[in-house]
Formats: sequence, C-alpha cells, structure tokens
Amino acid sequence: MPSSGSIAGPVQALINELSKLPTIGPKTAARLVFYLLNRPRNEAQSLAEAILAVKDRVRLCSNCFSITEEDPCPICTDERRDATIICVVAEAKDIFALERTGAYKGRYHVLGGLISPMDGIGPAQLRVKELVDRVGRENPHEIILATNPNAEGEATAVYLSRLLTPLASAVTRLAYGLPIGGDLDYADEVTLAKAIEGRRTL
Amino acid sequence: MRNYAHLELQPAPGLNVFVGANAQGKSNLLEAISLLGTGKSFRTNRERDLIRDGFELATISGEAHVKAGAIRLGCTLTATPRGSRKLYTVNGRSVRYATFLGSLRVVSFVPADLHLVDGPPSVRRSFLNSALAQEQKSYYRELARYQKALSQKTALLRAEAAPDPELLKIYDETLVTSGTALMIARNHFVRALGAAASKVHARWSDGREHLELTYRPNVQFEAETEDSIAGSFEERLRAGAEMERLRRVALVGPHRDDLALDLDGRSLAAFGSQGQQRTAVLAVKVGEYAVMHERSGEAPLLLLDDVLSELDPQRARAFLEGVGEFEQAFITATQLPGALSLASVYEIRDARVIPGPS
Ligand SMILES: [Zn+2]
Repeated sequence: MPSSGSIAGPVQALINELSKLPTIGPKTAARLVFYLLNRPRNEAQSLAEAILAVKDRVRLCSNCFSITEEDPCPICTDERRDATIICVVAEAKDIFALERTGAYKGRYHVLGGLISPMDGIGPAQLRVKELVDRVGRENPHEIILATNPNAEGEATAVYLSRLLTPLASAVTRLAYGLPIGGDLDYADEVTLAKAIEGRRTL
Repeated sequence: MRNYAHLELQPAPGLNVFVGANAQGKSNLLEAISLLGTGKSFRTNRERDLIRDGFELATISGEAHVKAGAIRLGCTLTATPRGSRKLYTVNGRSVRYATFLGSLRVVSFVPADLHLVDGPPSVRRSFLNSALAQEQKSYYRELARYQKALSQKTALLRAEAAPDPELLKIYDETLVTSGTALMIARNHFVRALGAAASKVHARWSDGREHLELTYRPNVQFEAETEDSIAGSFEERLRAGAEMERLRRVALVGPHRDDLALDLDGRSLAAFGSQGQQRTAVLAVKVGEYAVMHERSGEAPLLLLDDVLSELDPQRARAFLEGVGEFEQAFITATQLPGALSLASVYEIRDARVIPGPS
C-alpha cells in the first residue's frame, strides 16, 4: 500500500471513504477507485446520485419498518398480499432474501436487530412494542419468526414467541435446513423457500 | 508464522527434540503443530500475534497419518482490522472449526500446566475444556453455546438492576441444557482421568502414596442422569436468582466447577510439597494421554514445550516412561535433556531448524 502522501488527495480521500464500508479493505477500495478513474464522468455521477438518493428518498415504513420510498411501503399497501400473516425479521435486508424466493405472500415486520445484551440491545432497543401493538390492532392468524438460526436469533425468537403466543392464533418458526449460525441473506432461494413451507408451530 | 518466514519440516517417528536458546523459535514450532490439532494456540488468546510482524497472514499445513489414513490439515490466519480470522482445511477442503477439531489428536504439556495443582480453578477448567473439546465435537458445541449464553446473561445482569425476567429465563434455559451436557462429560472424563493418573502415580511412588482426582461441580447432583442434573441446576438457579441480581454476576453453573486433587485424602494444593504437586501434575498429564489414547483408539501426538527443563532428570524420565507407547512426540528444551534416548535432535537457531545433534 502506498502511503497517503504519495497519491493525489482526492484519490486518497475516496479510498478512505470506501474503506469504511463493510467487507471493503484498503486494497479493494484502491482497486475500486482506480477503476472509477478510468470510467466516463456520467457513470461516476450516476453512482454518486444513487448513493445520495438512498439517503434522501428512502425512509422507514411506519407500519412494518422496512425501507421504502413511499410510506406505507408497497408490501403493506399491496391488497393481493395476505394481511393475516406477519413475518418477523431482524433487518430489512432479510425481506429482500425472502422476497427472492417468491414463496411468501404475507406481510413483514422489521425488528431492527436481535436481542443481545452484550451489544447493549434488549427488547426496548428493538421494535418489539410496535410489533405487539400491531398484532393487537391487526389480529393476524399467524406470526412467523424468521430470525437467523444463530444464538441471538434463537433467543429473540423464543422471547417473541412467549410474548406473542397469547395474542395470536399461531406463532411459527422457520424450519431451517439452513446451517446453524448461517445468515438468512446467504441462504439460497430453494433452501429458504423450503424453510418457509416447512415452518413449525412453537 | 511468528518468527518464521517459511519452514518445512519432515519429522521422524518417535521422539523429536528441538534444542535451542530462548527466543529462537522453539515454542513457535510446537505452537504451529498444536494449531493443526486443536485449531487454537496453546499460548495466546490474541491469535493475531501468531502472524509475523509486517505480514498479513500465517499459514500452517501438515500431513498426518492417523487411523483413518493420511490427512492433510491446514490452518490460515488472516489479519483483520479487529484481530484475526482463521480458515481451516481438511484435505484441501475448507471446513468449519467443529469439523476440523479432533482430526488430529494432540496432548500438549506447557509450563502453565505445572500450575494445575496450585493455580486457580480456571486453570483446571481450561485443562478439562481443551482435553474434552478435542475429544468430543459435541462438547465443543455445548461449551460454545454455554459461554455465549453466559456472556449474554452476565451482560444483562450488569446492565440493569431489574433485568427482564423473561429474557434471563431464556439464557438460564440454555445454561441448563448445555451446562448439563458439560457436567456429564466432565464427570465421565474425570473418572477415567483419575483412574489413569492414580495408576501411574502409584507406580512412581511404589504404592506408598495414593493420588485421587474428584470432580467438584458447582451444581451438585444426586444421580448422573440428564434429568437429575438439569433438575438440580434449575433449583440452584431459582435459589440463587436474588443473589445473582444483587451481585450482578452469574453465580451458578459449570463455569464455576473445579477439580480436586488429593494425596492420601489430603488436598495437594493445601498440604502437598512442591515436589508432590509436580509429580501429581505429571501423573495427570500421563492420565490425559492415556485416556485420549484409549478413547480414540490411536496414539495422540505428544507436545512438550519447555517442561522437561523444569523437571529434574528423574521426573522427566518417569514422565516419558509413564506415557509409554506414544508414537510421535515433539519436545523443546534449552539443553538436550539427559532423560532422552533414541531421539531425533534438531537445533533451532534464529528461526532455522538444523538437523543433527547440537
Ligand atoms: Zn411496510
């Protein structure tokens, strides 16, 4: 790695910015920057605008807390989707994984993380109260707990199932053929579709 | 890794002795071999230290001949911004740690083990954990689950004066299921270990002294069944809940277990001479080797890092004879120990390995 003094300021500045992103180290960042340097200006511009648009135009759905351009989000307003099933996920990115399978036709609720006191996250730091309120309001037939099958995902699912079982007719958990410790968004579509079909009652 | 830029070594069967002054890289070599067996360093928790200064990764690979045939094992450490990441391979295929663990069995004996008798209980627990984790994959899994739940429970107790009882209950449930499995495994292992250790110890003392090992679980139980242990565990958690909340620490469970070593019915830590304590440690290590050997049906590798130089020649010889039928051993020492015959000797100087007597 060349030291910061040896390359042009803007190049180093962009390398520094990109290195802050997850999974991107200084080497990858440098490769991306030199790639961009060789591309036409309009390509760089549309990338820059797309990044800003994410921040300026995307917000949280006030019903399910997924990310959306309009509030409520298209999934919450889609009349063809089954409003009597709520699938609870940790992060909005998990919705993308589940939607890719095409196997799920209900609605979602994004918790905003998983319970982990080690990381300072308890039920109060998540959208648990919002979920309970929503269940009281919408009275769904089924709540699917689709948190990851790792220690935090399991603890969160158990916690929610005990909280929600008195309120909903069925609380189910994804039947994971997923590897233990695996991530929802790394699972392939077939595995995930099977997990949705084979969900079990808690 | 460590001070080695690159090293290839084709060790001999039987005893391999590496002789060299301090800080020349003797222990690093043993550490590399142990990484192929246990996947963990026997010296450090900061595994990033294993990577040579100025480098981004360390790779160790080796071929081992075990009962199942020849296997190639690999372990690569990569420096990351937050520490290091390890990748394991078996026969060139990338595998999870739990799969890697136990492919090659290793019994190591390092100077820290000399404190098995006079050290704090944590020394004895980590001795039990590393022996059992290598031996049973399920032990490693339950230990990882237990430790995770324990950290979460501890964090919860520390964070709030009135922790969410429902959440505490969830972590306690994991502690009970995983902790029960740990206790059953420890109880079995200590019984086998105690029998093997006291047998060799009796031989050394011509039957004059009797060494006894007793598992001292934090949660005492009536019968050695899952139900009985889990029941006692739940009861202790209920009884101790108020105290745990007040003191903000997890007080109940196998993370507070101990192992008692007694000589002729008296505590070795309290009443044993230094010589008696040391002989007991040697007997326990011989016992560990014997139990591992018997349970796996093959002779584990024996790694002795700088311990023979801490022992007088008589004890060193007694130890090696006690271990008996090891097939391959790696020993480091500052001087060639007098107790060794039929050894392949290598000299280690400035991270280079020079075959031949020093
Ligand atoms: Zn929505």
